[in-house]
Amino acid sequence: MPARLTRHQLHDLYYYLRLNRRVDEQLVHLYRQGKVVGGVYSSLGQEAISVGAAYALEAQDVIGPMIRNVGAMLVRGYRPRDVFLQYLARQDGPTGGRDANTHFGDLALGVIAPISMLGELVPVLAGVALAAKLRQEKRVALTYVGDGATSTGQFHEGLNFAAVQKLPLIVIVENNGWAYSTPVEKQMAIRHIAERAKGYGIPATIVDGNDVLKVYAATRLAAERARRGEGPTFIEAKTMRMKGHAEHDDARYMPKELLEAWRKKDPILRFEKYLARKKLMAAEEKAALDARIENEIRADVAFAEASPFPAPNAAAQPVWA
Amino acid sequence: MATRTSKARSPDAVTLERMLYYLKLTREAEWRIDQVLYRQGKIVGGVYVGRGQEAIAVGSTIQLTPDDVVVPTHRDFSAFLIRGFSLREMFANWLGRANGPTRGRDGSLHFGDMQRGVVAIISHLGSWCPVACGVAMALKRRGQGNVVLVFFGDGTSSEGDVHEAMNWAAVMKLPVVFLCNNNAFAYSTPAEKQFAVKSLAVRGPAYGMPGVSVDGNDVLAVYEAARQAIARARAGRGPSLIECKTFRMAGHSAHDAAEYVPEGLLRQWARKDPIARLEKLLLARRILTRDRIREMEQAIQKEIDEAVALAEASPLPEPASTPQGVYCGADCWWEKKN
Repeated sequence: MPARLTRHQLHDLYYYLRLNRRVDEQLVHLYRQGKVVGGVYSSLGQEAISVGAAYALEAQDVIGPMIRNVGAMLVRGYRPRDVFLQYLARQDGPTGGRDANTHFGDLALGVIAPISMLGELVPVLAGVALAAKLRQEKRVALTYVGDGATSTGQFHEGLNFAAVQKLPLIVIVENNGWAYSTPVEKQMAIRHIAERAKGYGIPATIVDGNDVLKVYAATRLAAERARRGEGPTFIEAKTMRMKGHAEHDDARYMPKELLEAWRKKDPILRFEKYLARKKLMAAEEKAALDARIENEIRADVAFAEASPFPAPNAAAQPVWA
Repeated sequence: MATRTSKARSPDAVTLERMLYYLKLTREAEWRIDQVLYRQGKIVGGVYVGRGQEAIAVGSTIQLTPDDVVVPTHRDFSAFLIRGFSLREMFANWLGRANGPTRGRDGSLHFGDMQRGVVAIISHLGSWCPVACGVAMALKRRGQGNVVLVFFGDGTSSEGDVHEAMNWAAVMKLPVVFLCNNNAFAYSTPAEKQFAVKSLAVRGPAYGMPGVSVDGNDVLAVYEAARQAIARARAGRGPSLIECKTFRMAGHSAHDAAEYVPEGLLRQWARKDPIARLEKLLLARRILTRDRIREMEQAIQKEIDEAVALAEASPLPEPASTPQGVYCGADCWWEKKN
């Protein structure tokens, strides 16, 4: 098992989980106010995977998140204001108002920008891992994919390549039960996605994706393995998408009882209870963190809303570099 | 991963003899193509043969019924013959003649005919695996118990299309049999640099379908594995994966000296030649005599000589016909033909 987390680190995890949830909730508010152009893709209920995995990495490592991994981007150093600026398409946002989703990255923060074509980042992050291996850097690459993206050819090509080349790559499959309206049992004919890994000769583990400590521990082990030069690891994190595919999807195709059952497994609630039970976070410590988060959210939403839209004549500017 | 079960059934004497015939015919026809016609400069473009791996297409395709469909690779010459393409058509295509299946447009095996249940492949390896699934889906809907055999190589197994096809086939329980010609080299890439698993058969369960690995140079082993997979598909129980371990006994194509292939490996695999093995078995079981085999060989040479002569006497396409067959409009040659 990886080294035990310190009290400070546990508080960090709580902070990012809660921050992820609050950013998400604010995005929904802004969307309903008609301020967000385009879709809002929530990570509600899946925060532990974003946060737990990203927190297990080191500063030199690189991640390739999906649109539901805002939490991972926050752990890597993006601020809530970056996310708000982006969703509100403001000039000061990471893409200068060109895109209104989390399609942004920054190699200085070790974040590769996701694109809408799901599964594409597996070969890209395999490439990052290959570079690290060739340069003999102790750098690990990690990417997240969904259950739906596992059916894409890119997923296959990236994983096979990583296995053959023994690349320091971690692929986390967030099995949230649904690819838009396709349930996972119509996506594949196997019970656990982790079974796929055997076809590549990659070791795989299955973790409770709603348990941040389990996700952290599995990722930590995978990263240590990668740094030892032992190759890629496949982690299936079982979770549930607690909302529609995006805010415009009321997801009436999802059984209510299923959502009810998973609501009881909320990753933040569980982690709070764990911290309280183990006396790892006092009530006043929690209150202080919550207040810090609220202040941050309030300030950053205000900051983003006060930012200008890009000037129309700037539209053509960054097309060619 | 047992290759033979207690229920294994040996094909009858007639089928065994037919298999030997197609194995020999394929070996000799391909020899004529890459060792004679290509070297005489009569073939434009590359020549890809399946020398040493003939047992895979023969042992499986021989079991199909007329309404089944096969999607061969460029190394599965025998699949075309078994499905009813004549040697004349085959040579006419290689020689780029106007009366060949592609009317001189292609000088390889990029052709098919749905009347004979053969889907034409293209050079982009693996791209036909989802196509095979589409065919299987249509056959499933028709509900007459027909199946699709689709071939691909060890190199092609790394293609995203193969993954998408195998996943889809498993989810939809399609009547398709995935046959992997694992001939150890994808051009110059050895299989151990292509994937990190010992056997591609493990990919089967990874998609939720059976996966077996057989000696691809043992036509009876291929026959039995294909028989079980075909029966399963006909019964509506979905797809299977069969890895046939074999060895490419030639270069990637006729222009490739394949110096990167260790001599020792070629010698080792030459001893496992699928034709010699079946011949030995037929002699031991007294199904054929040496004389009968010699007659068969002579008949094959005659068949090939005649087909080559016919193809060589056929005209090349008229230069003016070049734009024809690009678009199929009102005066489409294809529509007229059908």
